[in-house]
Amino acid sequence: MSVEVEVNENDLAEMVEQVWESYLDPEGINPLIPTYDENQPSEVHSSVSITGSWTGHIVYASSTQAARRAAAAFLAMEADEVSQEDLTDVLGELANIVGGNVKAMLPPGAFLSLPQVVLAPESTARFPNTQRISGVYGIWDGEPVSISMWHSRADNNQEVGA
Amino acid sequence: MRAMVIDDSRAMRMILKRIVTKLNFEAVEAGDGREALDLLADMTEVPDLALIDWNMPNMNGLEFVTNVRADPRLREMTLVMVTTESEQSQIVRALAAGAHEYVIKPFTEGAMIEKLALLGLVPTGANS
Repeated sequence: MSVEVEVNENDLAEMVEQVWESYLDPEGINPLIPTYDENQPSEVHSSVSITGSWTGHIVYASSTQAARRAAAAFLAMEADEVSQEDLTDVLGELANIVGGNVKAMLPPGAFLSLPQVVLAPESTARFPNTQRISGVYGIWDGEPVSISMWHSRADNNQEVGA
Repeated sequence: MRAMVIDDSRAMRMILKRIVTKLNFEAVEAGDGREALDLLADMTEVPDLALIDWNMPNMNGLEFVTNVRADPRLREMTLVMVTTESEQSQIVRALAAGAHEYVIKPFTEGAMIEKLALLGLVPTGANS
């Protein structure tokens, strides 16, 4: 059974800010600027799934260029030196970090999966019976980046029937 | 001084390596707990410090800590969990298993250095 949780945009935004401060923009000169546009485009995405006391997914999505810049910042290299393996690794770690921090806000008994990375738009993701419940949408250095939280509708149905 | 960085993310290993190298540690990397134990088995000189992720394939960080604590040869190694697992119950589990400290991702370089200073592994003020 899954319980209702309240992880709102402000909570997600705080986590995202910490990621930027720690790894992507330690100098504080290039923050993620909110657009509040749920439909902004993406070219790559990564996700972690949470099961147990709450069931759903945390999804990090961005343009390829933004992913390249993120990988370059993590790995201390130039964006044009970033390989596909680097992109996959960094996108996975970004989803893992945000997902782990979301999990900490959930009731005890939640479990985090290892990250999944797909070098294709978020819209190609297959998360059956899910509903977006929260998200941070923004522009980083002119490129779209989003972090969203999806709750399993199957869980909702169980709660109604319980 | 030697440090072992254990994380399945190459990017995170690089970040941690940058920090410990700056603090004059010689760094060794492993992609999971199993690989780390295999490397330790072949080492004549045990590292002073291990920075350990929790969620990794093959062998997770908690299992690695439990294995290290069961081996008298590795008793002197300082174990620091570096993980997104930030629930109180998980922190208690890791410390009970034998970890000395716990750093939650995301972390800044300064926060990590402060933790290592608290453990006496780097001089206080190394961050300044």
